[in-house]
Amino acid sequence: MITVSSLLDNEWYERYKKISKLNIRSSIYDVTNRCNLRCRGCFFFSSGEHKAAKEEMDVLQWERFIEKEKDRGVNLAILIGGEPTLCFDRVEAFYKRLPTFCATNGLIKVPRDRFPDMMVGISLWGDEQDEKLLRGQDCFAISSKNYEGDEYTYYLYTITPRQIGKTERIIKKIRDIGVKVHMQLLSNDESVDGFSWREGELVDICAEMDEMLDHYPDTVISSRYYHKVITSGNMLDRDFGWLECPSVTETFDNRNPKPKRLIHFIRWASDLKTMHRCCTSETRDCSTCKDGAAHMSWVMVNKKAHIRTAEDLKNWIEVYEMFAKLYRFIPW
Amino acid sequence: MTAEMTTNDIITRVAQVMIEELKLEDVTPGTFDPDIDLVDEIGIDSMDLATVALVLQDEYGMRFDEDDYPKLTTIRLIAEYIKDQLS
Repeated sequence: MITVSSLLDNEWYERYKKISKLNIRSSIYDVTNRCNLRCRGCFFFSSGEHKAAKEEMDVLQWERFIEKEKDRGVNLAILIGGEPTLCFDRVEAFYKRLPTFCATNGLIKVPRDRFPDMMVGISLWGDEQDEKLLRGQDCFAISSKNYEGDEYTYYLYTITPRQIGKTERIIKKIRDIGVKVHMQLLSNDESVDGFSWREGELVDICAEMDEMLDHYPDTVISSRYYHKVITSGNMLDRDFGWLECPSVTETFDNRNPKPKRLIHFIRWASDLKTMHRCCTSETRDCSTCKDGAAHMSWVMVNKKAHIRTAEDLKNWIEVYEMFAKLYRFIPW
Repeated sequence: MTAEMTTNDIITRVAQVMIEELKLEDVTPGTFDPDIDLVDEIGIDSMDLATVALVLQDEYGMRFDEDDYPKLTTIRLIAEYIKDQLS
């Protein structure tokens, strides 16, 4: 039987032990159906999920619900929307009870006197031109002022096919305001012309993501293996898709055989009763989904499959460390 | 559980279930070290443990509390947990 210590030297084994018992159990919450943007390609609006449930307006109900989520074993609340910063009372209900990550477009500043160490992830779609085209405005121009130097914030840089050969300027812009960055790829849910990935482009962008990680290791939170998996949609000779995705809401998961998955994961709508199929939307084609969290979770839940060679296991460790850093289970 | 069932009997059965359910290779119930750390050395995660727990629960007529999973880091600790639940 192959054991972890037989594959790793002391340094790597110590790294492994720091994460092996973290036991992260996340779920995702639509804090609101409203947003201050309407981005072309946003799965929440393009799939009609913003109309799937009537928003619960009573914060006391949110507090009761979150207590039940805690009892269910959730130890990481990932807040999405709509735009969560439109409802700080609900965000606070989570923050006071659970380790909380708030995804935002960054147009509204999270008040740090109220949320001193809450993790914030700011969405950034390509460069200024892409943002104007897809989101109606250059959001970075505003979010970078709101979050400059914020040590609990990172940019979630969604790379579009138009960014090939241009990502370094964006990474530098983020570095220059003293914030970290994590990269993922656009899934183009509304088939906007020119924003769908072609085969060769994914190979090119993988190399470019590697280069950014190598050149800006203090700014970029990522791993080469994650780049390979998300750009190829392949891990250990298996293809990503519905039969493999780990981020399917548990109660919807009737797959047989059952794949490795996130334990007790649910994506809740804002009525706190309705559940969505997965971490994105059920209108998305799973075989072309490029969701970053789904792909890194895919690696993470398949730990045993990576305990076969030292290289495979080190790849797994780096992806898990990346996830743990993004949600501050371990320091940057 | 019969009166004669010892912790060692349960250890052997837990090892057997673990090998079968998790498709562990190059190990037998007889060679599976009952004190090896399942998380740090074998790479068992909570979903693996839940899979094994389901089989053992049916077999021994007891319940594993999910909150106790983090404590069940070796085959011996799992066997002792089962014994405690049955006593």
